[in-house]
Amino acid sequence: MELLLMALTTGIMVGGIYALVALGWVLIYKCSGVLNLAMGELTLIGAYVSLSFYSMGIPFLLSLLFSLIIGLVLGILTERIFLDRLIGEPVLTVIMVTVGLSFFFKGTVEFIWGVDTRTFDPPVFSMEPMRIGPLIIGKVYLWSFLAALILLVAFVSFFKYTRWGLAMQATADDEMAALSLGVSARFVYAAAWAIAFMAAGVGGTLLGNINGLNISVGYLGLLVLPAVVLGGLNSVPGAIVGGVIIGVLENLSGAYLDKYFPGGIKEIAPFVFMTVFLLFKPYGLWGWERIERV
Amino acid sequence: MSTTWLPCGDYHQSYREDHAWFQTRFIKGKMILLGLVLFIFIPLMGETYSLSVCNQIGYTVLGALGVQLLIGFCGQVTLGHAAFIAVGAYTSTLLILEFPWPQFILDIGLAYPISIFIAAVTAGLWSVLFGLPSARVKGFYLILTTMAAQFITVEFIITQYVSQIGGRGQAFSLPPGTIKIGPWVIDSDLKVYYMMIVLTSLCIIGLANLLRSRAGRAWVAIRDNDISAEVMGINVIKYKLLAFFVAGFIGGVAGAFWISNLAAISPEHFQWFWSLWLVGVILIGGVGSIHGAVFGSIFMVVVMELLQLAVIPLADEYPKLLMDFLFVKEAAFGLAICVFMIFEPYGLAYRWWQVKNYFNLWPFSYR
Amino acid sequence: MDLKKKWFKFVAVIFIPALIFGISASALAAEVKVGALNDVTGATSDVGKDYALGIADAIRYVNDNGGINGKPIKLYQFDYGYRIPEALTKYKLFKRLGCVAVLGWGTGDTEALSPTVTQDKMPYVSASYSAHLTNPAKTPYNLFAATDYSTNARATITAWYDTRWKKNPEFGKRKPKFVCSYHFAYPYCSAPIKAIKDQAELLGFEVGPDQNVSLVAIDTKSQVLAMKDYGADLVWHGNTTMSVSATVRDAFALGLKAEHIVNCWGFDENLVKLAGKAAEGVFGAPRCAFFGENVKNMDKVVEYAKKYNPGVPLENRTTHTVAAWANTLALWEAMKRADKAGDLTGEGILKKGFETIRDFDIGLGVQPLNYTSTDHRTAGKVSIYEIKNGKFQVVELVDLKSRWPEKWGKEWLGW
Repeated sequence: MELLLMALTTGIMVGGIYALVALGWVLIYKCSGVLNLAMGELTLIGAYVSLSFYSMGIPFLLSLLFSLIIGLVLGILTERIFLDRLIGEPVLTVIMVTVGLSFFFKGTVEFIWGVDTRTFDPPVFSMEPMRIGPLIIGKVYLWSFLAALILLVAFVSFFKYTRWGLAMQATADDEMAALSLGVSARFVYAAAWAIAFMAAGVGGTLLGNINGLNISVGYLGLLVLPAVVLGGLNSVPGAIVGGVIIGVLENLSGAYLDKYFPGGIKEIAPFVFMTVFLLFKPYGLWGWERIERV
Repeated sequence: MSTTWLPCGDYHQSYREDHAWFQTRFIKGKMILLGLVLFIFIPLMGETYSLSVCNQIGYTVLGALGVQLLIGFCGQVTLGHAAFIAVGAYTSTLLILEFPWPQFILDIGLAYPISIFIAAVTAGLWSVLFGLPSARVKGFYLILTTMAAQFITVEFIITQYVSQIGGRGQAFSLPPGTIKIGPWVIDSDLKVYYMMIVLTSLCIIGLANLLRSRAGRAWVAIRDNDISAEVMGINVIKYKLLAFFVAGFIGGVAGAFWISNLAAISPEHFQWFWSLWLVGVILIGGVGSIHGAVFGSIFMVVVMELLQLAVIPLADEYPKLLMDFLFVKEAAFGLAICVFMIFEPYGLAYRWWQVKNYFNLWPFSYR
Repeated sequence: MDLKKKWFKFVAVIFIPALIFGISASALAAEVKVGALNDVTGATSDVGKDYALGIADAIRYVNDNGGINGKPIKLYQFDYGYRIPEALTKYKLFKRLGCVAVLGWGTGDTEALSPTVTQDKMPYVSASYSAHLTNPAKTPYNLFAATDYSTNARATITAWYDTRWKKNPEFGKRKPKFVCSYHFAYPYCSAPIKAIKDQAELLGFEVGPDQNVSLVAIDTKSQVLAMKDYGADLVWHGNTTMSVSATVRDAFALGLKAEHIVNCWGFDENLVKLAGKAAEGVFGAPRCAFFGENVKNMDKVVEYAKKYNPGVPLENRTTHTVAAWANTLALWEAMKRADKAGDLTGEGILKKGFETIRDFDIGLGVQPLNYTSTDHRTAGKVSIYEIKNGKFQVVELVDLKSRWPEKWGKEWLGW
């Protein structure tokens, strides 16, 4: 029983971080229709940037803020340089450009920072675990979950209550109508990428706090895909729920299925689950069903 | 983009001439020259390094053909092709190393060719298995299921189960001398080259013929608009699965061929990176034509080799470049894809087509 | 017209370098060529980087001290990122360049290449100390200057049993529980598992289910939870420092009451740095001395490290540099002997070089080396260390050969 509870709680906490990254993904898709396969590397960039700032001695929150700002700038740059010219191109082209971007980012990150595991030194959250009843939860998990929640609330309220957020929602809903009302589509695309960079960066930093940061944090980007598929490509709450489900699934399968399928089941369980899920609900839990016309 | 304009003044007088593969004597001459170069000149004049580069090109072409079929001709985007190549490679290896062949087959040296065929069929069937979701999903979701195929096959099944067969740890060693075709032991780059050129030619010829047949037309119809294709009476599911099978078959041939070039195989040869590489090759070479697969392969392999050669003299100044060369390679690949997609979205085959037509219409090249 | 120009430029860019391909470098007669494969960027790069620097330093030392009876060594050192395909292509390159020996790295590619190097008669001195490579009947050309993984594993679990379990109040009342935590798919990690489980049963442990921890893992909570569920008393770590430190930290954070024993590639100065408090009391079997320890020849290691890599601060150098020196010095001795006997070929280096080495002391905290034509295991004694207050202290010198002479001689060779 203890194993189940702990796997569940760990899964929910880690799932919060996945949800943050998935949010960024869905945003890009909703606003510009780009299927972004470079999410993992965006996570890496944000995480390594904040690690660099933190190693220079800057306090954690401030280095997080700096990495947010750099994420914003990089997002806008990426969108302007690479993706602007691809408006209107077939889907495969755009996906491959994001794949190309992911390799480019990954190669650059590995070149600059190397592949060693780096830790946030001195540790931001203490290593001592907290006990709540029968559960032992690492403090870092709790704080990460809280941070992810705060950011999610921040983003969702950004969309609901500010003018820019409203503009982005309008573009996501119906681009033509939004354009005719004077919303700048280019601004919306750039904002979507900037937010994705920021969300991914924070997600990566939080993950890096847990046990150390190395290239494998980038594989998180691949896990985001089952999360958004589960929740539905177009749905922001779906992304959040999908992220949490994937986190829980990963940990449960790691805890229980490892006995039967030794090694490696933890990584592919989300994909298997996603494949099976797609056969029954091809559009995810809350995705919009596409009606195709000839 | 596949029809080349013929020079004026060539009349065909029979149906046979009309749908011949090589329509004019000039083209026939070109192809004979190409055949001579590929089969005679290169093996005779090339030294080991260039032959190994050619073998690498051949392997990439075989892999890219399968992807080209699925993406360029049938419209099913696949990001998991390396898994099927891996299935082919591992099946062939296991058959050579573990299967108790009757002695007379080993003596004649038929073990490897038979294993290539069986490996290709297995890879094709495996590909059909993972192509089944294409009956329900399309577009982005199909990309995800093929990605899942890649991870499940290579990272899970092969890494955890298949490579552990015989307790060899992670890699199967193929001691030199285990691979023979007939009386020839395949142990030098030259012999691998001959095998490569024969297999590649067979696959290209086979695929080209298939594309000119009913199946090929069905595939193109599905690519262009699968709902209309279904309305017109094409059994979309059957042809999609056929496309997956043929792509898997060619991929299996690629994998089985590749093991003759290696001293050992391990799951690392077939990572997701390779699937993406193949799709990149297609896009750079040009989607939708066999030329595209070939050009893309040549381009990517040669560029990577040149990059390596270029970095070595620079390494004295910036030793970090050589140490981290693998990262430079990754970043360069990513950048190459982005640049090509932005500036050359139709790929190299499009440029080739333009060049050919220019010369075909010379000297009266009115634009 | 510009299309034609573009086409010609395109063709020229391809063909001219192709012509350059055809020019091959001629070999300088009086050099001895040695190839080196290292992992500076891959899954084991946390320990591989230091080893690579050590190889380079050691070869410089060899050349400064006469090389092979006057002939300098030309080292071709490449990074292959722990990717077996790259290792295979680089090995082909070494053959083409005319190398007489290879200083390799990882278990996966070493074991994969071993039939090929046997056929090619190329001595392959690896950083993989897998016991599968110690049987000359199967892998005559695979060698290394250290005690192999299985011997180390057996010695470590024996030392823990002798010093810790015997003092435990539950000693004699129940069997201690043992779990192995390693990356299943990598041969380096799984090499000693059979041997250590055999030793565990020999000593009277109860062996639990293995846990798969990836070499690049940063989150091992579910594996630690499973170990806690089983109630493990002792955990064997088969990975390199990165993932071992992650597991040890997670074990501490989740309150796992087991003690830890670690293989030689996970037991270094970085483990103390990365795992901090959680690394107290961890046992391990380093196959040579730690960097800077007061043993024979260590002064040369430190001197060359300072001279040639001033950018890497001395506190960041680890025991793996010393291991690289050990392998290189052993190869040097073997090549010197082979050259004196007039046969500096692959076969000569093996038969007239390595297999004539008996009780050869290279210092650096390595047990004196022995290679015979029937047994390539270098020694039967292993010193086991423990981490106390962030420092390494010797716990016991386990002599497997004299404690179990029958098994050592007959049963344990080769796995």
